[in-house]
Amino acid sequence: MNIYQPYLMSIKEITDETVDTRTFRLEFKDPEVAEKFTFNAGQFGEYSVFGEGESTFCIASPSTRKGYIECSFKASGKVTRALRRLSVGDTLGFRGPYGNNFPLDNVMKGHNMLFIAGGIGLAPVRSVIWTCLDQRDQFKDVTIVYGARSVGDLVYKRELEEWGKRSDINLCLSVDPGGETPDWKGKIARIPTAVEESGVKAEDTFAVICGPPIMIKFTLPVLTKLGFPADHIYTTLENRMKCGLGKCGRCNIGPTYVCKDGPVFTAAQIRALPQEF
Amino acid sequence: MKELQDLARKLLSEGTVKVVIGYEEGPRGARAAFITDPEQADPLIFDTRCVQNLAAYLNPRRKQIATLGKPAVVVKGCDARSVAGLIRENQIARDSVVIIAMQCGGVLENPDVAGELTSEAVSTRCGGCDVCEPKLFDHYIKSATAKTPPVNPKRTEQLAALAKMTPTERWNFWSEEFSRCIRCHACREACPMCFCVQCTAEKGTPLWIDAAATPRANRAWQTMRVLHQAGRCVDCLECERACPEHIPLGLLARYVADSVERRFEYKAGDDPSVPAPMGIYRTDDDEELIR
Amino acid sequence: MTQRFLSHADLTALVAELVAAKTRVIAPVRAKDDPEQLDYSPIQKLEEATFGTRLPRRSMKEFFLPVTEVLLRYQQTKEGVEIKATPTEAPPIVIFSATPCDASGLDVVDKVMSWDYQDELWFGRRKAATVVSFLCTAMDAVCFCTAVGLGPDSIQGSDVLLVPVEGGYLANVITPKGEALLKGKGKAEVPAGAEASAAAAQGEARKKVEANLPKIPAEFASWLAKNFDHPLWKTISLRCHGCGACASVCPTCHCFDIVDEHDSSTEGARRRNWDSCQTSKFTLHASGHNPRGSQNERFRQRIQHKFSIYPTKFGEILCTGCGRCARTCPGGMDLPTIIGELMTLAKTQPEGSSL
Repeated sequence: MNIYQPYLMSIKEITDETVDTRTFRLEFKDPEVAEKFTFNAGQFGEYSVFGEGESTFCIASPSTRKGYIECSFKASGKVTRALRRLSVGDTLGFRGPYGNNFPLDNVMKGHNMLFIAGGIGLAPVRSVIWTCLDQRDQFKDVTIVYGARSVGDLVYKRELEEWGKRSDINLCLSVDPGGETPDWKGKIARIPTAVEESGVKAEDTFAVICGPPIMIKFTLPVLTKLGFPADHIYTTLENRMKCGLGKCGRCNIGPTYVCKDGPVFTAAQIRALPQEF
Repeated sequence: MKELQDLARKLLSEGTVKVVIGYEEGPRGARAAFITDPEQADPLIFDTRCVQNLAAYLNPRRKQIATLGKPAVVVKGCDARSVAGLIRENQIARDSVVIIAMQCGGVLENPDVAGELTSEAVSTRCGGCDVCEPKLFDHYIKSATAKTPPVNPKRTEQLAALAKMTPTERWNFWSEEFSRCIRCHACREACPMCFCVQCTAEKGTPLWIDAAATPRANRAWQTMRVLHQAGRCVDCLECERACPEHIPLGLLARYVADSVERRFEYKAGDDPSVPAPMGIYRTDDDEELIR
Repeated sequence: MTQRFLSHADLTALVAELVAAKTRVIAPVRAKDDPEQLDYSPIQKLEEATFGTRLPRRSMKEFFLPVTEVLLRYQQTKEGVEIKATPTEAPPIVIFSATPCDASGLDVVDKVMSWDYQDELWFGRRKAATVVSFLCTAMDAVCFCTAVGLGPDSIQGSDVLLVPVEGGYLANVITPKGEALLKGKGKAEVPAGAEASAAAAQGEARKKVEANLPKIPAEFASWLAKNFDHPLWKTISLRCHGCGACASVCPTCHCFDIVDEHDSSTEGARRRNWDSCQTSKFTLHASGHNPRGSQNERFRQRIQHKFSIYPTKFGEILCTGCGRCARTCPGGMDLPTIIGELMTLAKTQPEGSSL
């Protein structure tokens, strides 16, 4: 079996989240694969446009939903720009699922959950959020703190609305100062402040955080201040990847291959890594 | 080499430069040295094994060297032409580097084996050298023993053989040589004049040259690189030394350089103020298309 | 492990038999551009080969991980895209007179190629190849195979190890593949004294290369990891061009790139190509961020990966001590010397830098 052979996917739906972020809903062309394919929240894949190349994104849809996967991306390079040129019905390739996952089943179930995301960082966290919400009764309190530079940069707006209406979710939306619109009803604050003011308690809570490095840098001390131990804070790392399965030697940070030992890590694990990422 | 060592000590202790890039004894022959401590200048040497063109280390994108501070660089007359090229093409400012030029009587073709500079042993680049006494320098260190180097007949024979070939024969010859290319781009990394932030071969959008080591992509890469070097290459042979597949890249570059000399009466020289034919726009250009 | 005796004539006949059966036979052959040098090349007759005199210029890895390899071909159709993945079965080859350092390189790389996901493109070729190595007596001052736990008579990665003795070769048959190759060839009975003379030759060869660099201690891997931020990394690779020539000649460097290319507007291929962590854009993100932005970090990665990360993960040093990197480097980076200096530093600073 040639492990570099991708599944063929058909684009079922295209959603423009923001002016530069697009979501694809993809279905497996092979019905047998569609039937059998499973993954865990946090895993990623190599999505490809044949002739242009492969690109690494997380699977942004929840593991509880079968028959399709979703990914969200910004057009920033050769392959992502090519992906943006595709239409509903077009074919692309997918290799995966790769990597480890957020330990929802064996660690997080039965506890409170705090989800923190910034900008397009909501994509991998969304997978965990929906997997959690699809089994809502298995978790205690759920708090979501999500923000972006401006209202226009918020992604998954329909779902943000849906989450905001639910009584079993404490949703805190915020935009950076200067990013608000006249009718903005959410917070005006950066994520670290929004987390601090969300009222979330560290006791019996697992945090899942993803966003720009600077956001993570300033949010981790807030979580520590609130009393979150470093092994209760989970994040997902990015690094330049090619094979996605541990062979091409590109994505390692010290002895850790982000594609195999990650991409999900606790803050404790990240602190122990050589700071070369 | 006392004069060189004393000069390095002086330049460093007076703070004129922060690093002296020269040659030192390595485990197997001469190798580049980066002296930052005036007390550590003794290892500096200069002899017929000092083949390497150290101008490559002046590339401002070599961050780990640039952060050391203003350099002095030890050059032979031929290497000084690379420094002139970097200045000519605005990669470094003339006053950002102190040039220590060494009077040179030629270097060995195989610097791992010390020996006399016979016509078989001398480097193929040394024949016809007109810069044994360099003209671009801040400091000039003479040699008591250097004299005009002998000509290694190997290069003359190779160039003559190429010139006798028909274009088809030359195409076949180079296609055969390029078939060994593995697209490692060591030639590019070792070359002082390959300083582009993003090489044409690294562009993905649009993709000019496939990355794979296929016959079509290898021919495209090699011909593109040597044409981009036309009028800029100083025949230092760093590309040939670096190539792990032993492709005669120096021969290719020299053939093109000779073509430029015939066509434009120009050879990449050590005067940065003299513009290169492919690097300047003139309203009285011979080519109407350009005008 | 069993032993047989082969005369030179037996070997010549074996090669002729393999060639007649359309098996590709590879052996060191004098290079066209420099007859002093050897390259692993296809041969039709044993006499084309030069046995056991020196290390070929390039390693054998290109027969198992090609410089460029098609992973799949694609074609745009009206319905979408059709893809044809490269089959993983490979035609049989036999490699004669591999150096033990090159043969063991294959075994070392097997570890990462079988880490959870089996790279069947690699293993297809490994399964189809029979490696006959030859006692190395051509070591020079740069070789350091014994320092990394191997040696001029290592059997790792080999199916047969030939040791020259009077009248021919003592064949150490190591694997079932080796047995199948030599079945009925030569004599099962080894002449008197052959074993002893082979052992003596092997011992002498070992002594010669052991003199170059002391054995790397087991703690070296963890010392390197502890000293990731040591100031030494800012000074030892200033002369390195980041050209990657070292990686291309190395038997164990296996890093690769995956790229697509068009053959026309509707069809093309996805390939994997050799790549190297020494190149400036190896870890460059699309955002422009580069975790290894200068040659200092990139050279550190080379040493850390080979002598710390790989041994920690897979129990093998990602190096066979062949010395090619040092011989080929245009910038004078001498890996065995650098490792020697690091080992000395590790001894004088066992706890590492106070950084």
